[in-house]
Amino acid sequence: MNERIIRGRIDRAGALVSADAPLLRLQQRAGSGLDKPLALPHLARLVTLALRLHRDISRPLYAADDHSDIHALVRITPDDEGASLEITDWRTRPIALPQMPPVAEDAAVPRSWTWECDQQLRMIALRGAPDAPALPSGWEGRSLSELFELQPDEEGRFAVLRALARQSRFEGQRVRTMITAMTLSGEALFDATGRFTGFRGLAVVAETQEPAEPKGGGARVDPAFGSLPLSDPQFGRRIDGALRGPLSRIIATAETISGQFDGPIRADYARYAGDIAHAGRHLLGLVDDLADLQNIERPGFKAAADEIDLGDLARRAVGLLGMKAEEKGIRIDAPRTDDRAPATGEFRRVLQVLLNLLGNAIRYSPEHSQIWIRVDRDGDRATVTVADQGQGIDAAQQAVVFEKFERLGRTDSGGSGLGLYIARRLARAMDGDLTVDSAPGQGARFTLSLPARDAE
Amino acid sequence: MLLSPTRMNESAFSHGIDPPSPTLSARLRELADYLAAPMAGRLTEEQRALSLGIARRLVSDVAARLDHDIDAARLWDEWLVRGLPRTSRLAGICFARAEEHRWREQSAQQASPSPVSPEAGTAVAHEPADEPGPSDAERAYLALRIADRRRFDAFGNPALAIADLDADIFQGLLLDIAAWRLAEVSKDQKRAAALGDAVRAATEAQTSDGGITQAGVAYAEILGSERLADAAAAAIAGHDWPTLVALAAAVHRRAYDDMALALLTAETGALPSLLAPLRIDHAALAPLEASLAMLPARAAGESDLAGLPAGRDR
Repeated sequence: MNERIIRGRIDRAGALVSADAPLLRLQQRAGSGLDKPLALPHLARLVTLALRLHRDISRPLYAADDHSDIHALVRITPDDEGASLEITDWRTRPIALPQMPPVAEDAAVPRSWTWECDQQLRMIALRGAPDAPALPSGWEGRSLSELFELQPDEEGRFAVLRALARQSRFEGQRVRTMITAMTLSGEALFDATGRFTGFRGLAVVAETQEPAEPKGGGARVDPAFGSLPLSDPQFGRRIDGALRGPLSRIIATAETISGQFDGPIRADYARYAGDIAHAGRHLLGLVDDLADLQNIERPGFKAAADEIDLGDLARRAVGLLGMKAEEKGIRIDAPRTDDRAPATGEFRRVLQVLLNLLGNAIRYSPEHSQIWIRVDRDGDRATVTVADQGQGIDAAQQAVVFEKFERLGRTDSGGSGLGLYIARRLARAMDGDLTVDSAPGQGARFTLSLPARDAE
Repeated sequence: MLLSPTRMNESAFSHGIDPPSPTLSARLRELADYLAAPMAGRLTEEQRALSLGIARRLVSDVAARLDHDIDAARLWDEWLVRGLPRTSRLAGICFARAEEHRWREQSAQQASPSPVSPEAGTAVAHEPADEPGPSDAERAYLALRIADRRRFDAFGNPALAIADLDADIFQGLLLDIAAWRLAEVSKDQKRAAALGDAVRAATEAQTSDGGITQAGVAYAEILGSERLADAAAAAIAGHDWPTLVALAAAVHRRAYDDMALALLTAETGALPSLLAPLRIDHAALAPLEASLAMLPARAAGESDLAGLPAGRDR
């Protein structure tokens, strides 16, 4: 294949009018065909360039279909009728499965430990993210299976031990520690001579303690999902993992195309890619929401009782969503740096609630409006209020706004209808509450209240 | 009234007028340094960023040892504006760690072997022994790896372990940070008094910790002269650079950081003599020479900068 020249012909309108089989197959896999616009963005861009310059160009070509990356060299010769293509050195390479990122990226996962062990599974490194549970003392040199009580999977197997035998990566190894249930994943490490030197990976806190499930017991029936297997925690976790990777890849690729980072493409193509990225982000948000829903509805769900400051968390939320507000010209009046409201609640979960409230306020506020965030103390409650100048919510809607899948009649792709439901469940799991106060045309005020803590 | 170009240049600098801004002053200093040695290799952006990150993490770690309530980010921001204290000492250790990290990263990226040849490493001195429990050498090697992994933060970024710090640098930093903190909590006499106790406690705790230098010494002692050469050769073959540096530091009775910088800045021709106490076969040095030669912007002699192979002695 490498020695062969693959030829094709493009007309002046950018349609592929003739092509050898490999090129035509690629065009068809990309959803197009003969006498249709070239659907390979990189090649299309090179053709446009050659036509614009009125001269031959030879460049490396990168393309991908559903199962392989393609690298080749293309020579484009423009003429009065269009352009001729000659593609050589056509190499296909299977798409590499995403490797575990280096520790630097691993540790960005909240509530996780990064760990490394030697070839005999003895721990040589254990570090915690800032919000992770405290590290056990005396972990140095201890066996991984001593530090983490390994739990078998549904088939009675241990992913880490199988990976040790194969010297390969693993994921989804459920473990228990003295403190909490976690899930381990790891990448096999090798030195320059090819000798296996151990594993490096992540230990992520499982959202809830695994309830002991009777063997062969059917999935619990969930009021939202009925008897769908999504109410089965194992199935849910697998689906969550299976969807998140491909969706992230789709979003990243679509954003690359939409942002035209590799050079200009047709404006409508860029817009389609932007739509794909947008839809991908929506789906990813839905996966997040469903995973959250599954976790918080599990019996025994309990949030951590961290010492937090609602003022600090509100400013963090503004920092994270400030750009989004700026895009709509919305001004956010955030608590001042000396506005404090010490409270007790789980840092990550409270931030999640605030991001939801602020995100909604931005989404449903008119352009060039203002959003206020205020922190306060009311007796033994610390409160944070997010107020906007949106269209407001009438009394009937207020009664259902915290219901599952309630979108108040909206049909846009902005949300899953689970955000406020999850936010209130989380608030209540932290001995707090989430309330709304609004009238049509007067904007909405959402108030999160949590147990107050005396300032130091 | 015409001035010669030389005269004009002098007139721009020599009237005893202070430069109008610290930025201009810093740039003029930089330019003067450049003019004094135009051919000298300067810091690359990567070296600068790595060293700065290592210094920042060090300051955060030391601050946390002193008082967990210290806002390390604010401290760092203020020091960035005012200039860091003890720069000459910090520069040496941060640069050594940054260069070591660059070396290891490059080595890991270029080596990445296919994991199919388990027999390749059978001669390694720290391979598990047949006896049921770990041998002394194994335990010492494990301790060395643990000491090495302490030289990264939770995100995998290079850092300096407090246990590896020279006591003077550690104490000096503690005092500088305590002075900064004192200005913050001076109204709270109880907290201000606690700072002094915290400095003493942190200083005592540091001396009781063992760092990578000590771990290397312990490992070298357990290996003894017979097995030292094999272990060092295995470390070179496996691109296990921290083990090599630690063993070399142990036989030279130098600190790990010093030894790392000595290796990283050695001309290729000087490597055999530098590692002579390890009694490694010259042929076994080839991967080390190749790895160092490929490291860009290394602060080594001319022959290495040109990427020449070993052989200055021929």
